[in-house]
Amino acid sequence: MGPNEAGQRRQRKDIIDKVTGRARYASDLEVPGMTYARLVRSKVAHGAIKNIDTSAARALPGVICVVTAKDFEHLDMYYGESILDQPFLSVDRVRYIGEPFAGVVAETQEIADRAAELVRLEVEELPILENAAAAMHATTLIHPERPADLELANVCSRSVFEYGEVDRAMTEAVHIHEATYTFPAVFHYAMEPYAYLAEWSSAGLDMWAGTQQPHKVRADLARIFGVPHNQVRVRVPYVGGGYGSKGQAKYEPVTAAMALIAQRPVRLVNSINESFHTVTRHAAVVTMRTGIDADGRIIARDSQVVYDTGAYADKGPRVARKGAYRSAGPYSIPNSRAVGIAVYSNRVPAGAFRGFATPQVVWAGESAVDEIARHLGMSPLEYRKRFLTEQGKPFLGDDAPMDADLPQGLQLAADAIGWDEPRLPGRGRGVGSGVKDGGGGAARVEAEVHLHRDGSVEVVASTIELGQGPQTAYAQIAADGLHAHFEDVRVRAVDTWGQRFDPGTNASRSTISVGSAVYDAACQVYAQVCDAAEQVMGTSQDLRLDGPDVVAGGQRKPFVEVLAEVRRLQPDWLGSVSAIGVQDTTKGDGPLGYSSSFYEVGHSAVEVEVDPETGVLTLVKCASVADVGFAINPEGCEGQDEGSTVMGLGHTLYEELEFNGPELINPSLVDYRVPRAENLPHDFHTILLENRDGPGPFGSKGAGEGGTLAIAPAVANALEDATGVRIRDLPLTPERVWRALRAHEEALHSDVAEDQS
Amino acid sequence: METEFILNGSPSVVDAPDHELLIDSLRARMRLTGTKRSCDVEICGACTVLCDGQAISACTTLTADVDGADVVTIEGLADGDDLHPVQQAFVDHSAAQCGFCTPGMVMSVVALCMEYPDADEERIKEYLSSTLCRCTGYVKIIEAAQQALEQL
Repeated sequence: MGPNEAGQRRQRKDIIDKVTGRARYASDLEVPGMTYARLVRSKVAHGAIKNIDTSAARALPGVICVVTAKDFEHLDMYYGESILDQPFLSVDRVRYIGEPFAGVVAETQEIADRAAELVRLEVEELPILENAAAAMHATTLIHPERPADLELANVCSRSVFEYGEVDRAMTEAVHIHEATYTFPAVFHYAMEPYAYLAEWSSAGLDMWAGTQQPHKVRADLARIFGVPHNQVRVRVPYVGGGYGSKGQAKYEPVTAAMALIAQRPVRLVNSINESFHTVTRHAAVVTMRTGIDADGRIIARDSQVVYDTGAYADKGPRVARKGAYRSAGPYSIPNSRAVGIAVYSNRVPAGAFRGFATPQVVWAGESAVDEIARHLGMSPLEYRKRFLTEQGKPFLGDDAPMDADLPQGLQLAADAIGWDEPRLPGRGRGVGSGVKDGGGGAARVEAEVHLHRDGSVEVVASTIELGQGPQTAYAQIAADGLHAHFEDVRVRAVDTWGQRFDPGTNASRSTISVGSAVYDAACQVYAQVCDAAEQVMGTSQDLRLDGPDVVAGGQRKPFVEVLAEVRRLQPDWLGSVSAIGVQDTTKGDGPLGYSSSFYEVGHSAVEVEVDPETGVLTLVKCASVADVGFAINPEGCEGQDEGSTVMGLGHTLYEELEFNGPELINPSLVDYRVPRAENLPHDFHTILLENRDGPGPFGSKGAGEGGTLAIAPAVANALEDATGVRIRDLPLTPERVWRALRAHEEALHSDVAEDQS
Repeated sequence: METEFILNGSPSVVDAPDHELLIDSLRARMRLTGTKRSCDVEICGACTVLCDGQAISACTTLTADVDGADVVTIEGLADGDDLHPVQQAFVDHSAAQCGFCTPGMVMSVVALCMEYPDADEERIKEYLSSTLCRCTGYVKIIEAAQQALEQL
């Protein structure tokens, strides 16, 4: 029997709260006796701390405490995803402008803000390594305690993936394409700034946090403060945007530390300026050599990706690893070597951001493939369709076989913009395909389904509602497993007390991982109800739950009575009306240590118009294909893909964190330009591809990141189609396009002049 | 100083320092946390409220400046459980994801409907460009605005 609820358009479970202003975010919370905090941040990019003078701040009436690392010498102050290199307040050194080195707690926010301005930091300045390029060849080390790399300085991590014989294959290639592509640091702009509320009691630490990884945060807090996991409770209210920025610990440790000293509940609500100084997407430099044979087939690829991870590792090592790994896709390339290097610099730390390392390498790869197709005189669309990895064929060495029909998806995108129709002058068309392995967060997870005596259903699943819609999708999945009504299912908000471990709401993993566990649990409860109904009603034929009633074999009986009777008939009836579902996505033995459980696929096709006078590039048409396997909540899937495509348009056309040396000079929405409604392509389509070929419930796959993957190269490819100009740096601002057009024209003129002379 | 104004239909008095911003009076003093703080510089629109029927940013408005005005926040839009048509349009089109921009976005669409009842798609896009959303890509918000304009 196919799903009834899944696949339908259903009202979002969270939407009434959200349209009425009743939805509570961490920045809205209050508890009795609450105090207010402000962090004090370094104005120096790199320095050894000589002194922190807190006396003036402490003297301000209403200030409860001013804390620095000296107050926590008994604690292990460091956190991080894989490298514990980031202290929650500077110890000995500051490493970037914006790094918090002190915290103020006061009776009001205004007093905390004023006191923060009175704290003085005295440092001995150290040489500044303004970006990865400078840091790789410097003699100064930002983290001298880290093991040295054999070739370069300030290497945070180096990952190498190799299969086949790249060097031999390159010698056999009839054409080798080599180019370097750059991608700037960009900002998530989750609209809710980082916000937390912490309170200590004899029971331990109570933490409210806008986080994507409450269990990871719990583990960090427990380790830092030397308390067991059962004394750290992390609760997550609604979260005002994440996109990766609220993964791992951020300001939870420092908020808890301030509450410990203040001996009062402390709320820390940062500003957007402070969010800008917390984490970014990695700036990357991708150097890619691609060898092709006489048929145009890619026989070898050799890539080096340098990610600027800023002052602290955050998720940089994993980003560099995944980026390198994915640089060999989405084509079947028999010989590949990919090196991913995360490099420390005195910039704002970089970490996870929707697409996770992949938009950077797809920017390079899908630009390069377009250049190759044009070199061969082939249609960029036909070239791709011929060489994209076929469904069921090996992918990325010996990872799981490709589960998607890539040429089909790309063709859908191309058709949606009228690829074969005649082009108007000044316009061009481009396509791109991005694939991201869905291995991130591979885990064995559990979820619970409880059927209450009145027939209402409660789902307990540790996925954060960031807006991507798990409360709605899980309710649909559970309703199907239970043959119950969607309206009768409620999904609990996440609380590490009493809820099962989950590695995090990231990597587009929740539906296939946790969602599958929800379905498993719901099916188990359904089997229990069937068993009870057979004993009590003598039938479980076509059993369904209709509000408070069990309906089966033409009979109807309140569930509460079925439950009472089955227990009377059979006191040792083992069934209950709750179940724990399980899903394990750590299977296989691919190069990452497991096989990708699915591939997240995004295809983009665009038509652009270029104004040669101003360099303004306008998207006339834009189509994005999200290969979701099966859309459990179609409106939600569309919304995710529309959002991720527009977010991708941000880094394609507008967004760039600009630095003067190490200093971020546009940390404000006045100067940092994100897409607005008026920037939407005139003709904008999102298409859901549903071949039911995914591992999640009803053949679903993860979604929500695909739109960010290939939009930038699709636009750059369209720009070349329109103008003959190739740009290998983002974003494609009017100035950059205008300069490239001018340079191209001058080169043409000088060629003509040479021909004439 | 005391500021007297109509807030969500009821007379209201705030005794606040001269320099206090409306967003702080609403959120911290009146406990109306539906109005959201994000950019602090009147770019994102998350703190949009209506002041005498006009959309304004509470993050750059002094409380003292709404003296005598009629202020409506997101909390004042629905009538009990009966949603305002703009709110209902957002529900019908799933026009919210994380929801942080939503109160400001809803208030902006309410203002749009009053100011430009015949707004076409281009006008909607232009008007809503002073209210940012980072999740939805705006498509469903524009659809919601179109529905609201038809109904109002």
